[in-house]
Amino acid sequence: MELRLRVNGIAHTLEVEPQARLLDVLREQLGLTGAKEGCGEGECGACTVLMDGLAVNSCLVLAHQARGRSITTVEGLAAAGGLDRLQQAFIDQGAIQCGYCTPGMLMSAKALLLAEPDPTEEQIRLALAGNLCRCTGYVNIIKAIREAAAGEVALKDPAAGVRVGKAAEGERGQELPQGVLLGNEAGMAESAPAAGKVLSGEGEAV
Amino acid sequence: MSDLGAGKANGLNITSGPVEANLEEGGTDLMKAEVLKQVGRSIPMHDAVAKATGRIRYTGDIDMPGMLHAKLLLSPVPHARIRRIETAEALAVPGVWDVFTYENTPSVLYNSQVWFAGQEASKDERLFPDTVRFIGDRVAAVVAADKETAARALSLIKVEYEELPAVFEAEEALRPDAPPIHPGGSPFFSKELVVGDVRDIWPRAKAIAEDRVETPKIHHAALETHVCLAFPDHNGKITLVTPCQILYSVRLIVATVLGLPFNKVRVLKAPMGGSFGGKQEVILEPLAAFFSRETGRPVKIELNRQETILTTRTRTKTIGYVRTALAEDGKILGRTVRTVVDTGAYTSNGPIIGVAMGKKVFRLYRIENQLYRTESVHTNTPVAGAARGYGSPQIHAITEINLDHVARILGLDPVELRLKNLVHPGDFDLSGGPPLGQARILECVREGAKAFGWAERRKRPQGDGRFRRGAGMACATHSNGYFAAYPDFTTMTLRMLEDGSLILNSGIQDLGCGTVTSMKQIIAEVLEVDPERIEAPEGDTETSPWDAGSQASRVTHVAGACAFEAAVKVKEMLRRETAKILECSPQEVRLESERIWSAAKPEENFSYGEMVSLIQSRNRSEVIVTSTYRAQDNPGSYGANFVEVEVDTLTGLVRVLEVLAAHDVGRAINPGFVKGQIYGGIQMGIGYALSEDIAIDPNNGRAKGDRFSRYHLINAPDMPPVKVILIEKGGDLGPFGAKSIGEIATCPTAPAVVNAVNHALGTNLTSLPLTPDKIIQALHYSRH
Ligand code: FES
Ligand code: FES
Repeated sequence: MELRLRVNGIAHTLEVEPQARLLDVLREQLGLTGAKEGCGEGECGACTVLMDGLAVNSCLVLAHQARGRSITTVEGLAAAGGLDRLQQAFIDQGAIQCGYCTPGMLMSAKALLLAEPDPTEEQIRLALAGNLCRCTGYVNIIKAIREAAAGEVALKDPAAGVRVGKAAEGERGQELPQGVLLGNEAGMAESAPAAGKVLSGEGEAV
Repeated sequence: MSDLGAGKANGLNITSGPVEANLEEGGTDLMKAEVLKQVGRSIPMHDAVAKATGRIRYTGDIDMPGMLHAKLLLSPVPHARIRRIETAEALAVPGVWDVFTYENTPSVLYNSQVWFAGQEASKDERLFPDTVRFIGDRVAAVVAADKETAARALSLIKVEYEELPAVFEAEEALRPDAPPIHPGGSPFFSKELVVGDVRDIWPRAKAIAEDRVETPKIHHAALETHVCLAFPDHNGKITLVTPCQILYSVRLIVATVLGLPFNKVRVLKAPMGGSFGGKQEVILEPLAAFFSRETGRPVKIELNRQETILTTRTRTKTIGYVRTALAEDGKILGRTVRTVVDTGAYTSNGPIIGVAMGKKVFRLYRIENQLYRTESVHTNTPVAGAARGYGSPQIHAITEINLDHVARILGLDPVELRLKNLVHPGDFDLSGGPPLGQARILECVREGAKAFGWAERRKRPQGDGRFRRGAGMACATHSNGYFAAYPDFTTMTLRMLEDGSLILNSGIQDLGCGTVTSMKQIIAEVLEVDPERIEAPEGDTETSPWDAGSQASRVTHVAGACAFEAAVKVKEMLRRETAKILECSPQEVRLESERIWSAAKPEENFSYGEMVSLIQSRNRSEVIVTSTYRAQDNPGSYGANFVEVEVDTLTGLVRVLEVLAAHDVGRAINPGFVKGQIYGGIQMGIGYALSEDIAIDPNNGRAKGDRFSRYHLINAPDMPPVKVILIEKGGDLGPFGAKSIGEIATCPTAPAVVNAVNHALGTNLTSLPLTPDKIIQALHYSRH
């Protein structure tokens, strides 16, 4: 089946099986191996990419659901040769250890900043609820996202300086893009609600 | 407050020798932080940019021309003899290259944790057994052109099982009528370690606490699942690309199973997507190597999450019985500790880990009468093995929860109790282990308690409404290598090139914790160069010298010391060779910031590159040194965690509000990396305390937690803020006094969390993880 989509700004026309996962098409057909498979069931976020600016678990999205859409992977996060502010902050803040969660973390963080350029720490934590990391305890990842956001805000609005986050409890619900995580209200006793991030889930891939 | 008898303190202290000297003077100049230029800097990891851009190639990202994919068929039954395997249909699928079972693979037995030639171990594993021993055991493999074909063919294999009786719980396995899993049955190992005499302490005790503590079988949960790639060459050599912890262990086991000379197996360390001990043992490599030899093609095996949980390794589930006697003044009179170690269906490190646990109980407190006994059993459950801390998280959960219990009985503050009993710098290990070195746990506890506001938090009312608060703490110790237990040495070759850049050739394996960068910082410090000027590739068994591996918390302390020595020797050589060129004495040669000159003629100074070129052309010498470092000490690393929790008595959910970790690391080569280890260790420790459990169903041997939707790691919203205090006073033999952090980082966390929950609720919960139902049940009992 023919599939037309844009990936990292480049238009592709591909021949893709109806049941193929977006993750496999990116990794195997396009050679974009940045997105990883950590669980195959929407729980770990290692496969996170942007679809029209929203974070999705590419292990749960069928490639054909991306028809006509624009996909961004970690390879397309910055212009060739450069680094996105988030990438630089991850490097500077020691937010990367083994690095396996990093592409997914970066893409979830990017989706958050696209929707909310100046997130509170709580918003950052919620946006990462479906991205697991075993190495860093998330401490420096959260720090890096705050730093990147502060830098971005300062750039756009120098008067804002490096104020970190804003107390915007009331508006948070609306401001998060649809499909981005809804948070882990139930705590660890419930399975992590990464489903909030999933645009579509066609069965389990395990 | 401290009432240690003078005589006793003297009896335990080293009162002379170099250790004491370092205590007095704070060590040599190199130990002084203010003179260090590279050590102590938090520079980024060497491959951080490649990881941030997605450019790095992990093993799963590699494709090779003609590469085949293998998929494993795992046993659906817990214990059975295989009567028949029908593979014809699978073989007939187009794209299938071969199908492997016990019938067409080597029957060579091996033990997956053996890492040096001649190491004794019980060998009970083979590539594919004819009797499966747990749900997840290897039955067969299909090797095909692509993953989908392999999976499809796998479903066409028909297996007839003759089911055997099975046992799933460690204490059931100890019963004489338990079904044997291997000849001889369980326990297959037992050992006792004794100091003093525990028999007459009980009548003298003011308080005695006895507990049964259970720790769960957990999954390492590296985000990268298990993966390996093997390819043959035209001369019968097999090359493996693998994210492993011990290259030479892989070589040893692959060569043994395939019957190849060691020099026909080449192992390359691939970037590691997380391990935590999970990739320490040799699991997929002999399979991939064999498949590639048989097919003549590159073969990749990449497990999915469920397969990784079931068929690789787990943390050893351990049951502990502890009985501790306290004197009226809060001194520990003595203690008995007994562990039952459940190693799962194959022996792996089953005998070693129970002893490793036992050694720790003699190295944290001054306890003059102590008995430790361990028994190891097989069960029809996924195989246990190395896991971050190698028994330390288990034994510290067991003993530190009990210590809070006995403090409660005596009405003593947990910090007070520990300050009265913890070891001091320079103490000996009473059980005969290596001296504890600069054991600065007292400082960790004092500084940590102060910074955490322990006294105030502990006094704060727990509350009597729906939400209760509590504060808890715990201490732990861990090793620094294998000295006094196994041969521990490392060899490295360091050379300076004609442009002044350097290459370190060594058998190191970076687990994503910063080993490569740490080695560069150590060398850079000694040689007065920028760390960026050094290349320190990870190991390659064909070209790199031998290394005992990234295990036993030995890398910074032992391999780092080797890098230090190699750099010192290169510097000496550079001086010697330069002296010939500048016609001065080596002592007159000065080096700074990559410039070199003679003190007599400072105006005539050269870059390192210019000088190395001159040395090559005029002296016909290369600036190259091969150096072997043999570990000569094994001090303790120490840490304490302080934790505040909030428990929802309605749902049974625990929220960790804050953690403070104080660690005695000797010297932080890269403080950012050290803190990173601590943050991650705490995340793992909270999961161990509250939510992580593979949870084998005692009725049928099925793993309930066999995928991430049913196995709960702490995620970002659940992770508390963490504060870190590093005690850096050096004094031991690591480079610049550095000691280990990667494993100790996770050891105090779980008992500290459990102690905080027990403080919040007035309970004595001792079965990890403290799931909501266990908490609700405990509250229910305490109300009735
Ligand atoms: S691979 Fe884990 S969420 Fe997609
Ligand atoms: S850095 Fe290793 S999983 Fe996040």
